[in-house]
Parts: sequence; C-alpha cells; structure tokens
Amino acid sequence: MQSSSTSDVRDILEIDAPDNSEFITKDALFNNKNKKPIKKVESTFKKPEGMHRELWGLLWTDSRDPPPLMPTDTHQGYKQMKAKIGQSKVRPWKWMPFTNPARKDGAVFHHWRRVADEGVDYPFARFNKSVDIPTFSDVEYHQHLHDEGWTRAETDHLLELANRFDLRFIAMHDRWDEQQFVKRSVVDLKERYYHISNTLARIRSVPGQELKIRVYDADHERRRKEQLDKLFNRTPEQIEEEEYLISELKKIEQRKKEREKKTQDLQKLITAADSNMEARRSERKATKKKVQQQQKIREANLNPESTSIKFPDFKQSGVSLRSQRMKLPAAVGQKKSKAIEQVLDELGLEHNPMPTEDIVTGFNELRQDIVLLYELKLALANCEYDMQTLRHRFETLAPGKIADIKNLLPAAPTSVGTLGEKAVEESPPKPKKIAETIDVVGPTNPLSPVKKRRAALEQGNILKKLKAKS
Amino acid sequence: QGVTIIKPIVFGNIARYFGKKREEDGHTHQWTIYVKPFRNEDLSVYVKKVQFKLHESYPNFNRVVTKPPYEVTETGWGEFEIIIKIFFNDPNERPVTLYHLLKLFQSEADVMLGRKSLVVEQYDELIFQDPSALLQQMLTTLKPITLGAYKHEHNFEEKKENTIANLNTAKTKIRNEISDLNERLKQTREAIGKFNEEISKLEGPDERIDT
Repeated sequence: MQSSSTSDVRDILEIDAPDNSEFITKDALFNNKNKKPIKKVESTFKKPEGMHRELWGLLWTDSRDPPPLMPTDTHQGYKQMKAKIGQSKVRPWKWMPFTNPARKDGAVFHHWRRVADEGVDYPFARFNKSVDIPTFSDVEYHQHLHDEGWTRAETDHLLELANRFDLRFIAMHDRWDEQQFVKRSVVDLKERYYHISNTLARIRSVPGQELKIRVYDADHERRRKEQLDKLFNRTPEQIEEEEYLISELKKIEQRKKEREKKTQDLQKLITAADSNMEARRSERKATKKKVQQQQKIREANLNPESTSIKFPDFKQSGVSLRSQRMKLPAAVGQKKSKAIEQVLDELGLEHNPMPTEDIVTGFNELRQDIVLLYELKLALANCEYDMQTLRHRFETLAPGKIADIKNLLPAAPTSVGTLGEKAVEESPPKPKKIAETIDVVGPTNPLSPVKKRRAALEQGNILKKLKAKS
Repeated sequence: QGVTIIKPIVFGNIARYFGKKREEDGHTHQWTIYVKPFRNEDLSVYVKKVQFKLHESYPNFNRVVTKPPYEVTETGWGEFEIIIKIFFNDPNERPVTLYHLLKLFQSEADVMLGRKSLVVEQYDELIFQDPSALLQQMLTTLKPITLGAYKHEHNFEEKKENTIANLNTAKTKIRNEISDLNERLKQTREAIGKFNEEISKLEGPDERIDT
C-alpha cells in the first residue's frame, strides 16, 4: 500500500525517478513522453453504466485517448473554401444559319452557336441514318420473287413505303393503300419484305462471303400475337380461375410427390421385413457359428433402414454398465416407445430385463423387430384405408362390378382397418395377435373417407379442366 | 488391448417393518442398502469406495463406505431413490453410477406384519473395456469373500434362463407376425394397383372426350 501510494504521488507530480526528484525542471513539467499520467487518466475513464458499446466506441477509440472536449481541427483540411469558377475567358455565342444534310430541300435555319464552332457541320447530322432497301430488276422478280398472294404493283408499293418510313412497319401498315390493294397485317408486310430481302441476298451473294439472312418466322409471330391478344383480353373471372387452377395443380403435384415418397418408404419397409424373414429362415437351419454371421449380416442390412432402432456402440475404453446398453436411444419417438411397451406387456416381458450379454442382445433385437412390426402395421392400416377409398370410387364408377375384381383382393384381411369385424366372425378361437395391441393412431391423413373421395373427384375434374385449357 | 472383463454385481435393499410406528421420530422400517459381487469374489480388490447418496433429510446423507460389506443401514418411513457411486482403485477409471429405488412396502402379508424381511435387488454387470494394466491385474486377482456357500436371495441363474427362453418365444412370435403383415401389405398394395388400373380404365373414355 505504502509504496504504491508514494509511486502514485510521484506519478501525479510527474517525477520519473527518485534521483532527479530534487529538481522539478521545466522539461519534467512539460514532458512530451509523459505516458504514465495519461494511463492514470485512462483508468478513471470507465464506460458509464448503460451506455451502448457502439456509442462508447465512437467516443473512445482504440488509441485510448479520452474523447476531446472541444473541436480540435487544427489541420488545414479545407484550405480552399470557395471553388474558383469563371476564371477563364468568356466564349461568345452567335446566331448563325445552318443546313441539315438530312433534308433534301436544302432549307436554311438559324440557331445559337459558339463562335468557335462556326462553319462546323450540324452536330446531329450523324444520327441521320438511312436504311438500305433492296431493289430488284424485272428478271429477278420473275425468277425469284414471284408470289401468288402478291402482285408486282403491291410489292413495289411495299418497298416504296419501306423506303419512305425506313422500315417502320407500323407506320407502313398505317399508310398502306387499302383502296388499291388488299388489306394486309403488319406480319404480312414483314413476311413479304424479309422474304424479298433474304432471297435477293442469297442470289446475289458472293461465294466465301458471309451471308446475312434475317430469319423471320411469320407463323410464329402470328401465333405469338394471337396469344398476347388472348392474354390481354382475359376477363377478371378468367384470370381468377386460372390462378385457382394453377394453385390446384401445384397441390396435386405436391400430393403426387408425397404419394411417391410414401410408396418408397413402403418398399423400404417391405425389404426390411423380407430380410428379417430370411434371417429367421437361415437361423433355423444354420449352426451356431453361422447364426452369428447371419445376425451380423442382418444387422448390417437393417441398420441403415429408418425402421429399426439404432443402439449405440460401446467401443470406448472404460467402465460401463451392461444395463446402459439396452437403454432406448432418444431418437426413438414417444409413439414407438409406447408401442414397444405395449407389446412387451402383452408378451409378458419385463421392460428392463436382467442385463446379461445374451439377454441385452436378444432384447435389443426383439425391440427392433417390434418397431418393424409397428411400422408395418401402420403402413398396412394406411394402405387398407387407401384401398377402401379406391374401392368406393370404383363402386361409384361401375356399380355392381366389384365382384369382377374381388378375387384379386387380399383374402379377408384379419384385423386391421375397417374390415375388422368380418374377420373376427370368421375365425373365432384364435390367439390374439400381438400386432393388435399396438395402437396405430389412425391413418395419417386427417380426411374422412367421404371427404377424401370427394377430394379425389375434384382433383380429377381439375385435371380435366387443365387439359382442356392447354 | 481388446480386453473386456465383466464383473457381475447385485445391488438392492432389505427392509423390515418394526410392526408399529416408532414414537420418537415416526420411523416405521429398518432398511439396508447394499452393493455386493454376484460371484464369491472380494470387490475391495478393485473397488476403492462406494458412495450412497440418501435422501437429503438424513444427517450426513452422502455415506461413503471404503471396505466391504458395502452397505448402509438406516431407519425411516419413506421410499426414495438412492444414488450409488462405485469408485475404483485405478484413479484413471471414472466412477459408475447406479440408481436404486429404496423399497419398503409390499402387499405380501408376512412382510407387512414384519415377520419377514423384504428384499429387492437387481443384477447388473460392470463392463471393463480395455482396462489399464494395473486395473486388469486387480480384476484378475480373485479373492473369495467367504469359504462357505455364497448365495443370493434371488435365483438369478434361473431368472436368466427364463428370460432368455421368453425372449426367444417372443422373437419367433413377432417375426411370424412381421411376415404375416408383410404378406398382407404386399397383397393390399397389389389390390390398390389393380383398383387404380380399373379406375383409370373406367375414367379413361371421359377424358378422351374432354380433350
């Protein structure tokens, strides 16, 4: 404490070292390298409570200087306060005549110009571009340009108009001599004109030189314009209907995608179930050694599927408890774990059996199978539901014909779904199926069968409409 | 390396009813929580200590036992979860945690009247994966606890056999049902396909008129 306070005093008095403390020199008082006192000031300059960091950053930058209290602009930042203008000499203007080379009549007009520019060409003359309109001889016309729909006089009229209006076809169309000739559309005019110019370019072309052909697809243009007309002439109702149809189409496509995904999932499930059965079959035959191999293969087959539970591998060294290895991973959802519990209860098995190695492996496998069973049941319920929907649809479409394909249907489904009652009547003393204990919470589609059917019909109508439109 | 040593253990509690509620503190049972080896082997060779974490209402509720028998005896009136931590002699090995729900009450008549003790115990296995040389040596040194017969209240061997048998029957059952459901699923899918085909046949002509 003592020493630090004395050093503080020394710092404040700007006394660097004890040896020159006897004299307080002018140098020491106006010391330029007095870094220490600045540091002291800095430490007292804490960020005030509640001040935003950004604002503080503006006030106190990395240089750690305290913010200035007064403007300190001593540099010659803006040396020249006024722009220097009007220093050069005045360039005089003069009222003078000019001719526009674009005009053939040589008319003289007057305008203001700088004296310096006197005698120079009219500056806008360079924008005066003229189009090269092809010309042809009588021979060329008869040989190449003859057209059933066009007379020679009409063709000449077209080219004359093209010359006059520099190929502005809208203007040409407007000035078309309708008294003398047939009424023609802009597209007709263009078609004829480009045909002429392209044909002439071709017959006159020099071999080796690049041929310049302007492609003009008149039919395409006509269709395009017709389409634009139609688009423009739509009524609000039509626009609305179109938007509605488009949104419906999107929905239909989305549903289709969903269906495809569902089918894929289903296929996966069936593959998993198939491999499960195969494993069982081979297990029966195989010796113990082989069983282990088969199991490994089966696990390899099953694990990548979404259907089975993935139990973590315990490979790292250290102590662990066997019972930890049969803990259900958190990734298994509540519905599934509930289904597993239900089935275990039904089978009369403990939820946490005695954890020996064999039991843990067997128990984990069993639960994987249970999950597979659960998913199969869920898929089956959905499928049977879909089948019922289709069946209703078929019956409305072809009443009484159901018998024709009835033999194709699965023989009296045992329990799941709406056909359940019938099955129970037919087969009375049968042990209860394990799968029955699993609660499959309805088909995932919330629509009732009737609603679903209606939706399907509507969808059909929309598709028809869309087809009719296009 | 690649060495795995398995040490089965049994843990649980014994409880006995006093026959009445004790006047001074309202306690009704005396109980003992314990961890013991499944086989006749001395745990203390590789176990440093066992910590029993009782309910916080007990004085000094973190009880540490450094030598066998690893057990804590107390009296009380309620059931609660006891956290048991086993520490090993190898300082690099992390402790293992077990959970046991202290059981005092049961509906069996003899137990209720206090004539018989209630025993609730579980079997588990400590798995030592790649233990250090030191620990491995400790784990392989077997020292029996008693020269006499070493028995547990529950017959775990029998339970194991039963469980395996049950598991196997259950597995067969489930797999049979899997193949059943699978077959039905396939049939249903076919039927759906058939229906779809027929329906599109029936709906087909309309569409042709439309277009």
